[in-house]
Amino acid sequence: MFANKTTRLLLLLVAVVVLAACRSGTSTGELQGTVLDVPQEKGSFVLTDTEGAPYDFASETEDSLTLLYFGYLECPDICPVHLAQIAEVFDQHSDLAREAKVVFVSVDPDRDTLEEIREFLDNFDSRFVGLTGTHEELAAAQEAVGVPPARIFGEGDEYTVDHAGWVIAYAPDGLSYSIYPFGTRQTQWTNDLQVLAALESE
Amino acid sequence: MRITVSRNARALLASLLVLSLVAACGGNESQPNVAQVRVGAPTGPNAAVYFMARGYDEDDVLVSASTDVAGSVEFHETTTNDDGTMTMQPLPSFSLPAGGELILEPGGRHLMLIGVDDLEVGDTIDVTLTWQNAGDMTVEAVVVDPADTMGDG
Repeated sequence: MFANKTTRLLLLLVAVVVLAACRSGTSTGELQGTVLDVPQEKGSFVLTDTEGAPYDFASETEDSLTLLYFGYLECPDICPVHLAQIAEVFDQHSDLAREAKVVFVSVDPDRDTLEEIREFLDNFDSRFVGLTGTHEELAAAQEAVGVPPARIFGEGDEYTVDHAGWVIAYAPDGLSYSIYPFGTRQTQWTNDLQVLAALESE
Repeated sequence: MRITVSRNARALLASLLVLSLVAACGGNESQPNVAQVRVGAPTGPNAAVYFMARGYDEDDVLVSASTDVAGSVEFHETTTNDDGTMTMQPLPSFSLPAGGELILEPGGRHLMLIGVDDLEVGDTIDVTLTWQNAGDMTVEAVVVDPADTMGDG
């Protein structure tokens, strides 16, 4: 059928490429995010949720796959991308979505109201938890989980907020094995959320 | 005879390739070629526009941009600091060297639409880019899910 040697070689090459492409789409069992040298314990802090109630991070997220991200609403560039990527994984894996807690903390309490934070998160998934607090409470929360504190630059209404660009993931066993800097690919999220969800506490 | 035919075929293929490359690049050497224009569906008061521009035979500078669907348009750049925090700062313009590229992408440079209207995924909006040398150019931006602003995923 494939008399020509070159044709056969080409077909073989195509088959190899297709196989390689398929393999990269499946979960490898290994984390593809930025793996920490030493797994970190989950920090403890209390902030206010979008209902106005106190939210004790460590106890509310106990035994759950937890994703924690600090950002602000006027950030149109990187904040929505992280959250939209996580929401997309949840759309495809409803089992993950049911068990996981996604916690977004606004570090811009002077501009972002609780209602606006709720509206912002509803763009992605209404199950996402939104928190904020006073500047002091936010500083304590960031210190508790080991991210550099957000800093405000500029004056009046025209200011921007420097903030940690990565998402911290905690497995259900309460430890963070990996973080997700900006630029994490959709395939990496899909892989890692499944790997982390399987790390149950004993 | 066989050789002649195959040579002709090769020449034909080569010219087809050149033609398609010229078509892909716009074939216009007097203004930037702007492609992959996209805007993340707004999740707050602002939204970001990304694109890839290919330079032509002279240096140019993108000096301003405007659209009917936002109050104003600013040029911003997100950079990552040594401690991993990310900073967003305004820039006066974006330069596009002759024959070079200007890439606007998440986590880097973008046009920020300030006070943007409600936009739905799949909508298109017109954005007018004003270049110092090439003048005004109106491009169509597709509204995409923020997860898809990164390009391949």
